Amino acid sequence: MNTVFRKLQVSVAQQAFVLNQALTLCRATPSVQHPVWTSVNERQYKTMPTHGIGRWRHLLPREAPKKKKDRHQMKEILAETDKAYGTLNVKVSGYDMTLVEHYSQYIHNLCNRLGIKVAESYALPTKTTEVMLMQEQGTKMFVDAVLKTHSRVVQLSSLNATACPVFIDVLLKNQPEGVQLSVEEHTEADFHARFKGRPELEGLMAQLGN
Amino acid sequence: MAAPCRRMATRSLLQFLSCFSRTAVGNAGFRQFSSTSVCRATLMTQSVTESARSPWTLMAAVCLQRLPVISADCTPIEQQFRQMMRQMELEKSLLSDHELRLLEDAERMSRKQADDYDSDEDDDLGDQEIVLAQDLEDSWEQKLKSFQPTPRVTADADGDLTSLERCLADSLFLLAEQQVGGGKLWLLPQTRWQDGETLRQTAERALASLPAAGLKATFLGNAPCGVYKYKLPKAARTESTFGTKVFFFKAVLSGSGPPAAPNAPLLWAKKSELQRYLKPAYMMTVDRFILGL
Repeated sequence: MNTVFRKLQVSVAQQAFVLNQALTLCRATPSVQHPVWTSVNERQYKTMPTHGIGRWRHLLPREAPKKKKDRHQMKEILAETDKAYGTLNVKVSGYDMTLVEHYSQYIHNLCNRLGIKVAESYALPTKTTEVMLMQEQGTKMFVDAVLKTHSRVVQLSSLNATACPVFIDVLLKNQPEGVQLSVEEHTEADFHARFKGRPELEGLMAQLGN
Repeated sequence: MAAPCRRMATRSLLQFLSCFSRTAVGNAGFRQFSSTSVCRATLMTQSVTESARSPWTLMAAVCLQRLPVISADCTPIEQQFRQMMRQMELEKSLLSDHELRLLEDAERMSRKQADDYDSDEDDDLGDQEIVLAQDLEDSWEQKLKSFQPTPRVTADADGDLTSLERCLADSLFLLAEQQVGGGKLWLLPQTRWQDGETLRQTAERALASLPAAGLKATFLGNAPCGVYKYKLPKAARTESTFGTKVFFFKAVLSGSGPPAAPNAPLLWAKKSELQRYLKPAYMMTVDRFILGL
């Protein structure tokens, strides 16, 4: 027991000695202030000179608060010599989801590399097709296979007319088997087709109209 | 030189709508295109009021390509990697519904064969007892055996340079032997530009004027992809003709009618074979825009 106490005393003495040394060092640099821990609830470190050293959000430009219906269409008016197409939808569809997704990612990366601006990149809902075969004995049809068609859309905002043949050529040469590629213009109907219908709202609007 | 560019510039809207799809090998070796309103060109036929004509003869050529029908074979490293990835994915994957059903059926069979089996203990599954998952698998295997895929490599057609079925894994380009200046040369089909038409229409005309009937093509865009300048030798230079400038347009084959006559000066060549037929300077220009993917 005595040895234990002696050891504790020695260690405490050593710690006091270290603390004294630290205090002397700190006194030499008067700019650093010691936080005094009076109570746990007070945030004393706000008085530190380095408080808020990592703040960066106040440096960004002010953004308007986002409303719910903020998805507007971007349609570019074509310039004169430097021809650019309007908003184009590159739609990739197929049965194999990994192939379709990888191909759409490839198109997106290719656009980034070639400097073609990509407006949006989204997925359309999966369509399920049931393949029904007639039974050999009898007239009933039975389900033979279930095929799911996945489709992804990469929306390009401005495609240069000079870049267009090169771009499409590269896409066609790298198209995997079993994947369909289609390049179309983006229309309002395409935009509204992504939203779910609201039958009750439409009914109420019809009633209001009547 | 300003004439064709200006015509392209005054077009107001370019609607480019096309659909490409890649289907099984069994079909005719073309991708199905549904190109509606490829180019709604509101062509303004302005009268050419420029007085100074450029001394170059303008021509437009079409680089018609048949895209590969099947994917190219993998290199040995790719094959090894593919096998390794397959094995890894198989080992990491979970059992599917069908495989779970197989296991359940096997377990139920083993329980039925046990001596102390009470059939009332089992839930009444109805159909599942009659049609086992194993039977389904057997019927599917039978169907697979009766399926005959078409051969990937058509050895006969590979050698025939005029056939479209050769080298299904590569893209082929159409070459025509045309009368240029003094003699016949192998080059991409070209024709001279006329007043009042766009360069792209010239290229379409070049394609239509070939002896092979019914080559339907979809032009990828209205801008040319390459230029070849040819200065005539000093002896042949006159005041009006200094040389020729050929603009190339890319097009993809979408359908072909009846096969051309065997004597027609046309052939389909891969990128590596183009060097045998084209002149070196011409080849250097063409090499820049032909993708050898």
